[in-house]
Amino acid sequence: MIRVLIADDEGMIRSALAALLRLEPDLEVVAECADGEQAVAEALRLAPDVCLLDLEMPGLDGVEVAARVTRAVATRCVVITRHARPGVLRRALASGVSGFLPKSRGADEVAAVIRRVAAGQRYIDSEVAADALRDERSPLTDRELDVLRAGRRGETTGQIARTLSLAPGTVRNHVSAVLAKLDVATRQQAVLRAEEAGWI
Amino acid sequence: MPTGRDPSPSAGDDPARDVLRLTRSIRATWWYTAVGIVFLDLVLAVVWASALLQRGDDRSTVLVVLVGGLAWAGAAVPLLVDYRTLPELALGRGRLRALPSLVVAAAYGIVAGSLSGLWTLAVVPLVATAVLLRWPPGVRRRVAVAAVVLVLGLWVVDSRAAATAGSDGWPLVGFYSVLLAPMVVFSLWWWDVLVALDRARAAEGRLAATQERLRVATDVHDLQGHHLQVVALQLELAERVLAVDPSSAAEHVRAARASVDEARQGTRDLATRFRSAPLGVELANAVDLLRAAGTVAEATADPDVDSAPGDVLGAVVRETTTNVLRHGGGAWARLSLGREAGSWRFEIANDRAGGADDEPGARAAGAGGAAGPGGSAGSGGTAGSGGSGLDGLRRRAAEAGGTVEVRRDRHEFAVVVTVPDDSGTPGAGAPS
Repeated sequence: MIRVLIADDEGMIRSALAALLRLEPDLEVVAECADGEQAVAEALRLAPDVCLLDLEMPGLDGVEVAARVTRAVATRCVVITRHARPGVLRRALASGVSGFLPKSRGADEVAAVIRRVAAGQRYIDSEVAADALRDERSPLTDRELDVLRAGRRGETTGQIARTLSLAPGTVRNHVSAVLAKLDVATRQQAVLRAEEAGWI
Repeated sequence: MPTGRDPSPSAGDDPARDVLRLTRSIRATWWYTAVGIVFLDLVLAVVWASALLQRGDDRSTVLVVLVGGLAWAGAAVPLLVDYRTLPELALGRGRLRALPSLVVAAAYGIVAGSLSGLWTLAVVPLVATAVLLRWPPGVRRRVAVAAVVLVLGLWVVDSRAAATAGSDGWPLVGFYSVLLAPMVVFSLWWWDVLVALDRARAAEGRLAATQERLRVATDVHDLQGHHLQVVALQLELAERVLAVDPSSAAEHVRAARASVDEARQGTRDLATRFRSAPLGVELANAVDLLRAAGTVAEATADPDVDSAPGDVLGAVVRETTTNVLRHGGGAWARLSLGREAGSWRFEIANDRAGGADDEPGARAAGAGGAAGPGGSAGSGGTAGSGGSGLDGLRRRAAEAGGTVEVRRDRHEFAVVVTVPDDSGTPGAGAPS
């Protein structure tokens, strides 16, 4: 029996997916979570075999949840997304996500991927991978992307510095490097540009 | 074959190259403007010094005017740098930073003016430096006019002083001194115009992108509206016949699911219609992804990579990389793309991750061959599976007149794809 946790902030999709997966004889849905924090808490409590995480959730996104959970318990994470922003795949791979697939896949395919991942293999959807390879290359370093991500909701330099445990001066340096590379005038424009291109 | 670890991202990408060229010419124009302004200051200092020499002043006075002129022209440089780099909004900050330059100019004026006894020399340095500040819109022009009037007046006053007016160089001093400020203002105005044009060009590009987006949005709306209507009809039909004929109802539900898949695929095709990246970028992205997955990956590419047939090779790169990624990446992977005797040769090799029966470059995409029995009608028809697996690669390569060769041994699995040089469209990979 493969024990599965599902996290998706859209209730209809979550319950439909859970109901469909429960029809599979070898899968047991042990938790349904509505956001990232809840998913982390439940995953740590239940240590499921596989976590099925929606990428776009308020608070922690699917990749962040996966990074926290895999660090703490022996579980494997599959991230599901509606539109696979290419930069996310790289981030997901780097944080140890075992599976990545678009939401458009049917429940039978999701079940197949869960079995595969539970058996220790990895599954990357070919659509997502093709998108990632055709992606415009980001001129920014990982650290600069971190700074943009930490400040994407208009956080101050001080807040970004605290989030990333950096000195405010370092954050300012990163920001000015970003502005120069993207040829934009404000951090906000840089965030928009990076979001459009799928880098953050 | 010259190799590079990181294939250049923008080479061969024409819009990018154009932008680069424009950026370069804007930079060149900036240097032309800045050097021109400093040069004007220097020329004026030389004109003054030669006029004083003609008048029979001390050589030491002449020397002070010359050397001071150098310092004065030098003091313009930080102001010019600020003019380009500080945004218009940072007026206050700019003022404070300008203070040293203004002090140098004022000091030069005081020294030159008191040594020569000429008002023109005392005032012009400060005035000419002050017009370099970022004034609010429209003010600089008025400042320039005021400067012309002021300097002209002072020159007339100086001309009345008996000792000066006689010399031959004196009209020249007046000419240059009066015109310096307006010429500087004109140069900066020209630069501002250029910057405005550059911004307009960027805005034009963004506008075109927005219009394209609107057009795509309309297409998406039409496509999805059509399919949603079909789905609604099929479901309604299923609901009606459910009680009398469950198997026919199930048939209609399956048809509805197929319509949903069609709509999804159509939407994706619309969204990715214009998405393509130069081959070099795809290779670099592949290496990035493999490294993110913990694989030691390396790519070597011919520097001319972007002239390779991108539609065929792009699909090959995507397909093979996806397969390597899917199979756990393995410990290492090596990608190379080069030209060989009139054809392009792409090779991807990795350690045989995923077990002996697995073929890293060969497994079918789509549902990874794992879709449950009786998988939905449309689910197999997704983008990847149309040209996936080794057979798909062979077909693609054959269409372009090329070949696929697979090499396996105990430690390595490699796929080599060779396509003739002139096949397909060069440049970018077409959406698959």
